Amino acid sequence: MKKIRIGMVCPYGWDTPGGVQTHIRDLTEHLIEEGHHVSVLAPVTDDSIQHEDYLVNAGKPVSIPVNGSVARVIFGPIASSRAKQWIASGDFDLLHLHEPAIPSLSLLACSAAEGPLVGTFHVSTPKKKAIYAIGPILEPIVEKLTARIAVSELARDTLKDHFETDAVVIPNGIDGQKYANAKISEKFSGDYTVGFIGRFEEPRKGLKVLIDSLPIVARFIPNVKYLIAGPGESKDFVKEIDPQLRNRIQFVGRLTDEEKESFLKSVKIYVAPNTGGESFGIILTEALSAGTAVVASDIPAFKAVLENGEAGALFINEDSKDLAKTLISLLKDNENRETLASNGKLSAQKYDWQVVAEQIENIYEMAIAGGQRVTLASENKFWSRR
Amino acid sequence: MSIESFFVILLVVILGWYISFSASRLDRLHHRVETSWATLDALLQQRAALAHEIVAESNLDPATAYLISASASAARFANLEERSAAESVLSESLKLVQSAARDELLELPTPLLVELSDLTTKVKLAINIHLEAVNATRNVRKKLFIRLFRLAGKAPLPVRYAFEDDVLESTDLPQ
Repeated sequence: MKKIRIGMVCPYGWDTPGGVQTHIRDLTEHLIEEGHHVSVLAPVTDDSIQHEDYLVNAGKPVSIPVNGSVARVIFGPIASSRAKQWIASGDFDLLHLHEPAIPSLSLLACSAAEGPLVGTFHVSTPKKKAIYAIGPILEPIVEKLTARIAVSELARDTLKDHFETDAVVIPNGIDGQKYANAKISEKFSGDYTVGFIGRFEEPRKGLKVLIDSLPIVARFIPNVKYLIAGPGESKDFVKEIDPQLRNRIQFVGRLTDEEKESFLKSVKIYVAPNTGGESFGIILTEALSAGTAVVASDIPAFKAVLENGEAGALFINEDSKDLAKTLISLLKDNENRETLASNGKLSAQKYDWQVVAEQIENIYEMAIAGGQRVTLASENKFWSRR
Repeated sequence: MSIESFFVILLVVILGWYISFSASRLDRLHHRVETSWATLDALLQQRAALAHEIVAESNLDPATAYLISASASAARFANLEERSAAESVLSESLKLVQSAARDELLELPTPLLVELSDLTTKVKLAINIHLEAVNATRNVRKKLFIRLFRLAGKAPLPVRYAFEDDVLESTDLPQ
């Protein structure tokens, strides 16, 4: 494909961790490597530190509770005028907007621009009443998108429900090699280690389900060790654990990227007990490509990634007993666990950036085939003539 | 100026803005349909040309070869109404090539096979994008407000082609 100028819009605070941000960063770096020019417009909380060259600051985000977690987004007249300025001066062949259907920077950019626009939809939420009210306002904006991408079948269903439009499903990409070649760390390895990563204070991450399974697992496998990684306060969780079992569980705190890679590679089993609200489950694909056996709750997103149990074991959502049963059988049966892990590693190949970015580039090619370029939308030109 | 006339003027201004907004929205949608169709059309033409090339370069049996060239020609010269049917037939017959390639019964230069698999993916995407544009446009044109003020003007209603999406499958190349 010929090299093009791409403008990418990130709706969430660039310097707060999150799946969408990671996706955008990886995609951008991959596209730059391929020789494209990419500029990313994103809200930034802390502009005193040096950020990537391709990043354009759109201002400080505000925190808004959405879907069980906190989203750091930005909107308002200042953000809107910065988006317009960025579009007008960027001379882009194409804009790639992430999550354009939530009130955010992406929506602002989408309404201000005209030409080849590609939108990626990350979330999946059940149909909400609020969308009936806001739908008619969003519809004319969302329908400007030349092509839509959904990161999972679930995200696609959400889009169908809310806007009656379809999308091409392209999964989130990961750098599989990084996980496959990670170093095994002493700290996280052992014969019976079970790992968990996430902002565990959020109930939907399901740490409670995992902790409740400990008494049963420890009865059958006394040497089991639960390793919990991620930012948050562990006191409340520790309090509820039987004092005799407290040494079986360890909170290792927030991990750096490198530590995370070796964590996923080192533990015997990775558990994702999330109780819902997930659209894709990128952490699962990361654990799979590290070659680690994965156990996850049977919510639709995880079921899809684990191919109904072919690529990793599933347990009944929110059922600690079933989780314990699954963990015990996998920890005891090395052969079975290794087969599961190698199946998983194979199935994770389709999420590798090499494969995923090529699919996204195909979409770009379709979108720009009309020969148009990105300009300010005609209704804006009148007001903000430069 | 009485308060009533102020509101009347306000209403007229809002109505005027909304008409202009709807008109440009519809215009943009029509434009989207045109470009997406142009893209799809170009890809389909490429595919038909490729089909002829494959027939010329491979050792396909005469029956299949005939089927493919005939459907490729039909697709190329089909008029708008017959187009989607003709393209679907071509998709079906190209599937024969792909399955023969998978079973390694076919002597065909690999670049052609790669190109076929590439084009198949792109055609699929282009169909998806085009149908999206058509559906969105038709939905908007159905709206009462837009019909009332005849904002679509004389632009023809975009045709919803019955491309059979699932006829197309991407091939895994033989290792």
